[in-house]
Amino acid sequence: MSTNIQSGSLVQIRRNSTAVPLPHAPAPTSFHLFETELGAHVMLVNGSRVFTISSEIAAALEGSEGDAAQLLAELGLSAPEYITGAPLTDSPIRSLSLAIAQKCNLGCTYCYAQEGGFGAQEKNMSAEAARAAVDMLLSEAAAGDSFNLAFLGGEPLTNRKLLRECTERAVALAQTKHARISFSITTNGTLLTPEDGEFFERHGFAVTVSLDGVGEVHDRTRPFKSGRGSYDRVLANVRSLLAMQQRMQVSARVTVTPANLFLRETLDEFLSLGFHSVGFSPMLSSPTGAGEMGKAEMDVMLAQMISCGEEFERRVARGERYSFLNMTNAMRELHKGTHRPYPCGAGAGYLGVSADGGLYACHRFVEDPAGAMGDVKSGVDVARQARWLAERHVHMQEPCRNCWARYMCGGGCHHEVIHRGRPACDYIRGWLHYCLQAYIRLLERRPEFFYA
Amino acid sequence: MSKSIEAKNLSAQLQYQAFGNPPSTLPQTAISNAFPGLEMDFRNVWKRILVGIELHESSNLVVAVDKSAPPEAQGLAEGYRLMHINDVSVMVEVKGPQYVGGPNVSLPDTTFNDPRMPLEWSNALAVIVHEFSGQMVQCKFESLEDPTKTVQASLMVRPFFDEEEVDGEKVRRAVIAKDIAPPGELTQSLCSPWQNDYRECACFYWAATRPDYVNVEARPDGTSTGNNWMQKDRTPETPNVYIVDDWMDPTLVNYTDLFRHWEKSLRFIIEGKDEEAPPPQPE
Repeated sequence: MSTNIQSGSLVQIRRNSTAVPLPHAPAPTSFHLFETELGAHVMLVNGSRVFTISSEIAAALEGSEGDAAQLLAELGLSAPEYITGAPLTDSPIRSLSLAIAQKCNLGCTYCYAQEGGFGAQEKNMSAEAARAAVDMLLSEAAAGDSFNLAFLGGEPLTNRKLLRECTERAVALAQTKHARISFSITTNGTLLTPEDGEFFERHGFAVTVSLDGVGEVHDRTRPFKSGRGSYDRVLANVRSLLAMQQRMQVSARVTVTPANLFLRETLDEFLSLGFHSVGFSPMLSSPTGAGEMGKAEMDVMLAQMISCGEEFERRVARGERYSFLNMTNAMRELHKGTHRPYPCGAGAGYLGVSADGGLYACHRFVEDPAGAMGDVKSGVDVARQARWLAERHVHMQEPCRNCWARYMCGGGCHHEVIHRGRPACDYIRGWLHYCLQAYIRLLERRPEFFYA
Repeated sequence: MSKSIEAKNLSAQLQYQAFGNPPSTLPQTAISNAFPGLEMDFRNVWKRILVGIELHESSNLVVAVDKSAPPEAQGLAEGYRLMHINDVSVMVEVKGPQYVGGPNVSLPDTTFNDPRMPLEWSNALAVIVHEFSGQMVQCKFESLEDPTKTVQASLMVRPFFDEEEVDGEKVRRAVIAKDIAPPGELTQSLCSPWQNDYRECACFYWAATRPDYVNVEARPDGTSTGNNWMQKDRTPETPNVYIVDDWMDPTLVNYTDLFRHWEKSLRFIIEGKDEEAPPPQPE
């Protein structure tokens, strides 16, 4: 029955496995069956539609193999194709990230920016390039439009003066256009000051602090260039911001490597410190291969994520706040039935700007010809953008075309896929399978979480 | 097989065709006529546009008044019609030709025997909704019985769109506000296309899938003669005269006939003419 792993449905895997079933195999199917203690359920790939169904319907779908279209029609479950193979066109830019400093004071082992410089000489963005970027984002704004300006690097706070200037310019420009603008920053936290906190609070920043664990765990992957650990410094700096949070939201982002697979402890520790939310992301592609997650580590991570998710379910069912970001995002998107042909807005409504004013598909592609898309002076290279959107469509990706999770995942982070491939598909499917089950349970136990 | 299916998330709810429901219950296959329609009656969003009173959109009549409404508005449900909001009129005199090439003449409202026609409010009141949402406006009402009796009242325009707070600012959402139409109200007064509206609608309107003018014969002067499709008496011996619609006229098919025995009241029209055999008469 080994061929079922490649071509059969999840149900066949479950039937033929004595181990705890996880839907790790791609199935050429238009649906994904799953069960909870509340019954049998199905997620229809077209439109990410979730239903609770009788066990008879589940059995009929299971038996329909790859030819479920007629059965779905008979059950009143067919729908027009929500996602066609047509690439996205006419996507106005709504979000830019500025690499205002292509340099960093940390020497993280796995960083895609290679210690901040993206493999090139360290530099700051010029004021001229930054102004051109802000103007490009907002010059065509219509009243009521929403925009986001993100500051990344390198470490953006090594160029604090320009960060403030850009923010204030964007606020003023948005006001004249009656448009809305929000700001975000991803920082290593080592240079944060209370004055930064006041500035971020004033402008309602979403502040993401990169923290890979508690104490020594963090220090192993995120040391200063001297080799000294950075955790104590980051915590000392970040505490004043945590206390200030009103409009500002300070979150922790944990990059998961084989060295910090204790997610539950990390999550609880950071939530107890007062972070607005805590999210995890596996290290799948680093320039040197250092810190990359392998199959065995991804399995451990999945188990840990589910453990965090189960605690989320318990807390939310009691009406408590437990801001495990991966889970809150998943619940929100599953409830809406989000379905998309791309994993994110990269190269479409979102672009990254390099220190020299180059435009790239996102912040990770800065200085990378694979994601180059023009520059802030002459604008987006529309031909390159069109090619990107055509090539990156999930229908063009293998093995995504046949995966039940294709419109939830969108094919995976472009940067990781282009540079390493897709080593995490089983993890993604496993996580989504769990999230679907959790969604059904929470919808039953705490409907007001979804219908506030 | 138990066909128990429960749509859980929002995309599933939006798309699900419940067992036994027709295809028109889905957004992409809906008839989407809304004035009134098969799925909703858009006129009902206007019932509560002025806080304190309830209106009937297509007649402009006030049908109910809250006790909380201002004192000058309290008698409005006794046959008063909305005429103006600020300077915007919802009743106007309409002029135009009655036939091709004819002179422009006044086209009165035959329902209320009034030289002025009620306007459709989605257009007429667009500027009021846009500029005076949540504000007080001056409204003028007129008695249907005695047009010299008028009432002026200052009423608030109920916000039409739902609002949410984003970064401390109130922002309109693309959703009708809850207070504009309580649950169930948008689906009140739907079309009944095979009964009321089959009679009511004319001239190729979607519910009127039938000929309006039958047994037509051309006359030498270029005009024509024929029957109203609702005339009951249509034997070959009947004088070929067109009876103008009046729902009280017993010589025409009425609403009750259509509800009770449409299959006996109607007959097939073949190539514009009545089929040869007369229809069976109702008992």
